[in-house]
Amino acid sequence: SGELYCSLPNPRNVHFESINMKNVLHWSAPEGTGDGVLYKVKYSVYGVGKWIRKPECKNINRTWCDLSSETSDYEEQYYASVKAFLNGMCSDWMETTRFNPLTDTKIDPPMVIVSSTEKSISIILTAPEKWKRSPEGESISLLQVYPGLQYNVSVLNKKTKKRWLFSVSNNTLVVPWLEPGTAYCVSAQIYVTTPLLHSGFSKEYCIATLKDKTA
Amino acid sequence: TAGNKIFHFGSCRISVSVTEIRSGFAAIKANIQARDPIRTLSILSYPHSLHKVKSSDRCCITYQLFNFYVDKVFKHCKTEDSYVNRKISSIANSFLSVKRKLGQCHEQNKCMCGQESTEKFKQILANYEGLNVTSAAIKSLGELDILLDWME
Repeated sequence: SGELYCSLPNPRNVHFESINMKNVLHWSAPEGTGDGVLYKVKYSVYGVGKWIRKPECKNINRTWCDLSSETSDYEEQYYASVKAFLNGMCSDWMETTRFNPLTDTKIDPPMVIVSSTEKSISIILTAPEKWKRSPEGESISLLQVYPGLQYNVSVLNKKTKKRWLFSVSNNTLVVPWLEPGTAYCVSAQIYVTTPLLHSGFSKEYCIATLKDKTA
Repeated sequence: TAGNKIFHFGSCRISVSVTEIRSGFAAIKANIQARDPIRTLSILSYPHSLHKVKSSDRCCITYQLFNFYVDKVFKHCKTEDSYVNRKISSIANSFLSVKRKLGQCHEQNKCMCGQESTEKFKQILANYEGLNVTSAAIKSLGELDILLDWME
């Protein structure tokens, strides 16, 4: 394939970075090489015999390659590999560890919508969607991928600094018996018990309960 | 106990310490999978994925697989790393208790084996016997997440 003697140092730290199953291969440039290094990428499905080249990541100078489309079947596991080229020299193929999209992805926090009455707050939680090829593509919630998905919800009384933590399975939560005319801040996190996965907490969404009309 | 999950296979109900098994496996996954250089063969997934097994056969396949791991895998997975060995034996103990529970279901005819599960398990054994024992055992152990993902 026209590759000369492979004495170029290898790409380093070849690994997948995955968020909501958007699976992007990342690596670092070979040690001691300045600009001008080009790369090519291949991937394989674990258990299947062949490596498949990724044409869109051939002769690229960036150090990442989006393989979300190629690794979208989360019932499979994958390897990916990168080779570097510079001035007619090349490196070895450097592989990732075995990548399992189901257990190795990170999950974004849920979307949080809050509304209030005089003495209660209603919270609607929405899990992020799995990565999809195009905006018109079918939307798959991570709730469908992880049936055991649950939410941790934190509610803070801004006046008293008192905080409650709730753990809910469905996507709505009503917090009753609150003080009228008081600001509360809500933040939520996703967690899945098996496989063990959890998102960070969302940013805080603050809202005030309505003032007591009778007062 | 926390982290246990109840699995319903028709009338066979068993509790499995999935979280414990998963965290034990997660701790040694990279180490074990790095010892398996064969990318082109899978014990559990090929040629047919576990996900293609009919639901009526799930109990029997699960029963056969837990027997397989206890009888043919864990005992051949000794490594030079005592930490890894401890994790393996902890997983093996969890598998042993599940194997017993499934065995009771099987004896009570609640875990019947159809032709498909028999064929599927025969294929898994053929994949296993296609390698030398240690390589086959290490590869099978490295595929534990495939089994757990499918079970769940």
